[in-house]
Amino acid sequence: MIPNPLRDPRDRRLPRVPEPCALVVFGITGDLARKKLLPAVYDLANRGLLPTNFALLGFARRDWGDQDFAELARDAARNAARTPWREEVWERLASSVRFVQGSFDDDNAFDELAATLGELEGSHGIGGNAAFYLSIPPAMFPVVLKQMQRTRMAESTPDRWRRVVVEKPFGTDLASSRELNELVDSVFSAQDVFRIDHYLGKETVQNLMALRFANELFEPVWNGHHVDSVQITMAEDVGIGGRAGFYERTGAARDVLQNHLLQLLALTAMEEPVEFSADEIRTEKLKVLRAISLPEDLGTFAVRGQYEQGWLAGQRAKGYRQEEGVDASSTTETFAAVRLGVETRRWAGVPFYLRTGKRLPRRVTEIALVFKRAPHLPFADTDTEELGNNQLVVRVQPDEGVTLKFGSKVPGSVMEVRDVSMDFLYGEQFTETSPEAYERLLLDVLLGDATLFPRNAEVEASWSVIDPLEEFWAGSTPEPYRAGEWGPRAADQMLAAEGRRWRRP
Amino acid sequence: MTTLWDTTGSAVVKELAAQRRTGGAVLSGVALTLVVVADEGRVTEAEDAATVAAEQHPCRILVVVRRQIEAPVPRLDAEVSIGGRLGPGEAVVMRMYGRLALHAESVVLPLLAADAPVVTWWHTQPPARLAADALAVIADRRITDSTSAPDQLAALRTRAQDYAPGDTDLAWTRATAWRATLTSAVDSVAGRRGDAVRVLGGRVEGAPGSATARLLAGWLSSRSGAEIDVVQATRHPGDTGVDSVVLQLDQDEEVRVHTDRRGGAVISQPYRPDATMALPDRSLGDLLGEELRRLDPDEPYAEALEVTTGLSGLTGRASLRSHVWVDPAEQDGRPDGPDGPVDAESVGDNSPHGAAPTVPPTSEGTDEVALAGEHDSPDPTAPEAVR
Repeated sequence: MIPNPLRDPRDRRLPRVPEPCALVVFGITGDLARKKLLPAVYDLANRGLLPTNFALLGFARRDWGDQDFAELARDAARNAARTPWREEVWERLASSVRFVQGSFDDDNAFDELAATLGELEGSHGIGGNAAFYLSIPPAMFPVVLKQMQRTRMAESTPDRWRRVVVEKPFGTDLASSRELNELVDSVFSAQDVFRIDHYLGKETVQNLMALRFANELFEPVWNGHHVDSVQITMAEDVGIGGRAGFYERTGAARDVLQNHLLQLLALTAMEEPVEFSADEIRTEKLKVLRAISLPEDLGTFAVRGQYEQGWLAGQRAKGYRQEEGVDASSTTETFAAVRLGVETRRWAGVPFYLRTGKRLPRRVTEIALVFKRAPHLPFADTDTEELGNNQLVVRVQPDEGVTLKFGSKVPGSVMEVRDVSMDFLYGEQFTETSPEAYERLLLDVLLGDATLFPRNAEVEASWSVIDPLEEFWAGSTPEPYRAGEWGPRAADQMLAAEGRRWRRP
Repeated sequence: MTTLWDTTGSAVVKELAAQRRTGGAVLSGVALTLVVVADEGRVTEAEDAATVAAEQHPCRILVVVRRQIEAPVPRLDAEVSIGGRLGPGEAVVMRMYGRLALHAESVVLPLLAADAPVVTWWHTQPPARLAADALAVIADRRITDSTSAPDQLAALRTRAQDYAPGDTDLAWTRATAWRATLTSAVDSVAGRRGDAVRVLGGRVEGAPGSATARLLAGWLSSRSGAEIDVVQATRHPGDTGVDSVVLQLDQDEEVRVHTDRRGGAVISQPYRPDATMALPDRSLGDLLGEELRRLDPDEPYAEALEVTTGLSGLTGRASLRSHVWVDPAEQDGRPDGPDGPVDAESVGDNSPHGAAPTVPPTSEGTDEVALAGEHDSPDPTAPEAVR
């Protein structure tokens, strides 16, 4: 930031506000743009976090005028905004909303887009800064990026920045992700590329770092001497919705395991960064991702499943193969569980159990550290029958918070120890200040803060973990599980083989 | 919700514990205790604001209403609610009559959330010396509102003379949106130039008698080193007392921000078209919520207050106050020992109108009362004379 006499580091009331800039969204009529991006832009404006000179540009194939687009954007923002609706805030925002119509291979449309950007520079004073949000299928990336290169829209100069935001999936395997990274990096310089993993925008995920590195209490036990195993779960109760085409090609491992779960693992297992900066944190995360090892016996320790029809939350749910658009003999997995190791001094010998699935009993994401049993219990065996392992659980969603599970004496005349849990609910201590993940991430892009965005080396390291799994699974049929169950039996056996069991989240 | 008429502090503590026990899964974690000192006439306003703030920052709300200090017999009425009309958390509204009102802390102290910060907010005329109110002494942060004073500038001076780190004023909070807008406007000039900007002078147009306008000007002066004053605006300024701000920058440039009267501010700057930013009028609850966000001393406020009032050395003052006994019944205000806190003996001495309810000699049997959940009935442990 250029020195401004009114800025004072002690003055924490003043918000971080980006420089004047434009946000250009490709695929503005898509689901993500309507459900997440537009509401996030409104919420930022409503909280006074957008710069004085800001413009929103939408690009899509539909034949619309600025007015139609403003209306769609208004409805979208109004439906999903987190903060109270204030018409005057939207009116101000709407005055700087533009729409450019065209297909991605249309040279004229991109020339018009470049011209509109130039025009906004004059009329809205955006100073030439722009962030391009690619809310489009990855197959379209090459065309759009080539167009941006041709019109020289992607060039950052000392006077202005140009950034690009990419959504997952970042490729489908190591080779394709490399290709994609090379393509994006050839058009934008590496530090201007922001890969969105919306899980990293969640408060609890950021709190994981505060929990670990701001406290004395947890770090001493955060290692293989005390931790028996780590379980990271991301369960969804929904099915695949209308995304059959995408999901058939992708599957749970590529859709969730490769990005969200491995990022959560990296944050859990990483060493302390030298300082709390984007580069240092990413360096530590990358070290962990590179240290991940796969089990030798993949047959036991890598399980994939597919839901069959069943009952979920009191309603009948179709099986995966019966979903619309899905092949009746599909072998795409909707559940994946794997046991990983992290080959570092801190984590040697500690298994990391990761699982994700659709049509599981409830929507929950959590990281659970299961501690070892106390080395010696001075009580009679019968006293501690109900005592389990101590656990530290970071709940990412819903009910963001932290739970500590430990043994406690049951009141009464006999010595009886039973597990109790101590809860920290985020919403109890700080309610208002939990912005939606997209809101936070969008603001970070405009501010140029890359702390919460994985960089391409991380993406590639993650694919090197997933590729051998996919290779092993190729040609096999996923284990069936009923919708509304916690995954196939094989997933339970995977832990039982080592004398453990899944925590019920 | 339970109302306890003519009760004692310990009965309130028990009732709160009882309600928490029977309430099941209620909000158990509180980040802080908010003590609200309000006049009877403005208690609803204060309660509404505290409720809004409590939704943003879960806290235990303790509302203290001091009534009829001259009443011959001290008396305490309390309304205890958890997850009721006063937001999701625990709240106690206490009305204190007679000499008890001078010893409000004796009821409040046992009700504070354990080891959590205490914020005291006066939604009434605060004492000239905050140390005279024991509720200020127990607080980590003290919130006053100079804009509610008849003479706002005099109120600011009083606050500056009495300032200790941890004091803050809602007149300052009202300036936050303006400060953010101005900072962002200067950012945008700096961004265009790619070089540092200096503020050489300027003026705040608004109501010269407004504490917020004065603090805003004081802040601008303290940050820029230039003389920036409040001049009478031609239009009637809004709630904040600020209508527009003009900043003269180096290179002969000027930035001007003025309200558009529709919840926005128009920013005029060289080489750029005018831009509008949100600058909504904020509710009292919103302002209070902002104050609860951070609980450490606010140095920029102290510096702005220094420039505004011409006093210096505010930040260097000790942040701890010790209680000063001031008896409104005695005109001269006899100090109770050398700055020492009020001890039990002197409380009796200073209460010529009769003894406050006395604490039961033993605490035996208190749990039974808590378990029985004594609702709307007189406290059996209270001495006969009070019932």
